[in-house]
Amino acid sequence: MEMLVCIKQVPDDSVEISLDPATKEPALEGVTPVVNAFDTYALEMAARLKEALGGEITVISIGNESVKNSLKNCLAVGADGAYLINHENAESLDPLSIARILRKAANEIEENMGKKFDLIFCGKESTDYASSQVGLLLAKEFSLPAATNVIQVEPGDGMMKIKQETEEGYRIMEVPAPCVVTVQKPNYDPRYPTIKSKMAARKKEIKELTPSEEGDSMLKVLRVFEPEKRAAGIKIKADSPQEAVAQAMSVMAEARIF
Amino acid sequence: MSVSNGKNIMVYVETVSDTPVGGALEVLTKAHKLAEARGEEVIAVLIGRDLVDAARTAIMAGADKAVIVKKESYQMEEYGTVLTKLAEKFKPFLILSAGTLVGKDLLSMVAGTLHTGCAMDVMDISDRDQSLIFTCPVYGGTILNDLVIKGTPAVAAVRSGAFVKELLAERTGKIMEEKVESEESVYTRIVDVVKEMAEAVNLEEAEVIVSGGRGMGSKENFKLVEELALACHGVVGATRPAIEAEWVPRSHQVGQSGKIVAPKLYIACGISGATQHVSGMIGSGYIVAVNKDEDAPIFDIADVGIVGDAVKVIPLLIEEIKKIQSL
Ligand SMILES: Cc1cc2nc3c(=O)[nH]c(=O)nc-3n(C[C@H](O)[C@H](O)[C@H](O)COP(=O)(O)OP(=O)(O)OC[C@H]3O[C@@H](n4cnc5c(N)ncnc54)[C@H](O)[C@@H]3O)c2cc1C
Repeated sequence: MEMLVCIKQVPDDSVEISLDPATKEPALEGVTPVVNAFDTYALEMAARLKEALGGEITVISIGNESVKNSLKNCLAVGADGAYLINHENAESLDPLSIARILRKAANEIEENMGKKFDLIFCGKESTDYASSQVGLLLAKEFSLPAATNVIQVEPGDGMMKIKQETEEGYRIMEVPAPCVVTVQKPNYDPRYPTIKSKMAARKKEIKELTPSEEGDSMLKVLRVFEPEKRAAGIKIKADSPQEAVAQAMSVMAEARIF
Repeated sequence: MSVSNGKNIMVYVETVSDTPVGGALEVLTKAHKLAEARGEEVIAVLIGRDLVDAARTAIMAGADKAVIVKKESYQMEEYGTVLTKLAEKFKPFLILSAGTLVGKDLLSMVAGTLHTGCAMDVMDISDRDQSLIFTCPVYGGTILNDLVIKGTPAVAAVRSGAFVKELLAERTGKIMEEKVESEESVYTRIVDVVKEMAEAVNLEEAEVIVSGGRGMGSKENFKLVEELALACHGVVGATRPAIEAEWVPRSHQVGQSGKIVAPKLYIACGISGATQHVSGMIGSGYIVAVNKDEDAPIFDIADVGIVGDAVKVIPLLIEEIKKIQSL
């Protein structure tokens, strides 16, 4: 099974990002860049498939030099090869441009390797811009079938048996391979690198590609601002739970909640 | 294949069991206001089996025209093709849907085929000097972006609770059926659909949600959350750790990778208030939090915060609520 995992480097999502009062831009300095959480789930899903079936995992990303670090981290947790599509200003790309650049690069890699990808993974969305479009657009660019919000993939007879999360539960789908899947959080966590796997990853080369020409961005940001803060209400600290509940009920009665 | 010089707004009205989802009705009401201000119309598109009643509801919510396309069951590629073909036929300047998983998938496909831009999780749409501005959350909702879509039509999926639906029985409109041929899906095949929710609980449309987090401690204790929800005629929600501990099925998750909710009342029990959870429930009308850590971030957004052990506090809350209800 030949697998491609598309990753994006994003600011650590456990840090609350606010606007820099001076520049009015998101204050990202000092926030550690990490691999988008949903992409780490995708990589883990791919790594498990590789363990079961063999094959190789290639990771790819669009961005500047700093993204090499994220790609190294992927090499330490299951990826066999990594490519960086060098782009100084990947932030400015819209989902369609990203999908096109990724598709061209993937074709180039396929040519280099002399093999085709059977499965192409994306996270279901990125934790920074959350456009949730790149996977489907990429499938479109490849003219391949796609499945979104995937929490499980099992290979079947010439097709993939896929579990897709829905609002009410899940669907089981059959999708012919090759295909593109976008990954939602499965019921396991991504593995951690070991010292040994980190050392090995450090030695591996990150191959570089130049992005194909991009079209005009379809999305233009006019203004960046912070949402109005919800004012904190009343915090009740009483001597006993009975007293606390009595106080809370009276506040809620006043607000006509109960 | 771009659709230029658009007129009118097309809204995809998603249905579940032949009934429009609440988010779609909210979108229709907003679309009606936008279209009316421009002297244009709203075209609702419904795809499925038996949708005449749903089409009437769509008209009550703001559609001027409801177009029904008959298809057996949901198939992403087929539905996406139908929407794209109708967009080419009706040439709207704007295509909207509720920001459900299906809505997001279909609109991505439509925008991709029409080579235009798509805004996701839209929280507001304003029409300034004939130019539409979409407000979207970034970084988990701690920052908002106002953006314009340069391609036509503009395509946008709207977060549930962003707009208020108005169902007016006196509204009239035309219901028509369109045939759209789409090749049998050669791609994906849905072989089974599993509904995990015991009953038709719908978090997005619930007026009261009682959610439990890791702080509930055990599956046993999590039952208190369910009892409190029952007492307030509400629906059970949960944080990701509560779901991963298998105290409650996945479909109850509220947050960035779960559901975006906007009930009138949200009670958070044993929940810290991490951004990924808060971004899914910050639109709630009134927030009550029970947490034993007085510095928990959830208290920064709660209207009433009870500092205390949820296992002791919830039974007392249930008792008090039952007392009020029996008055
Ligand atoms: C990409 C990504 C997506 C995510 N999506 C979601 C999502 O959709 N939804 C979601 O919820 N999370 C999501 N998360 C996880 C999120 O970051 C938090 O880990 C999670 O919301 C924390 O849940 P919690 O509040 O239940 O647990 P914790 O953060 O562990 O908080 C438990 C709280 O309970 C309190 N407590 C403990 N015991 C008691 C007691 N006896 N009585 C009262 N209070 C008590 C503690 O003081 C603490 O504040 C996501 C994370 C990532 C990385």
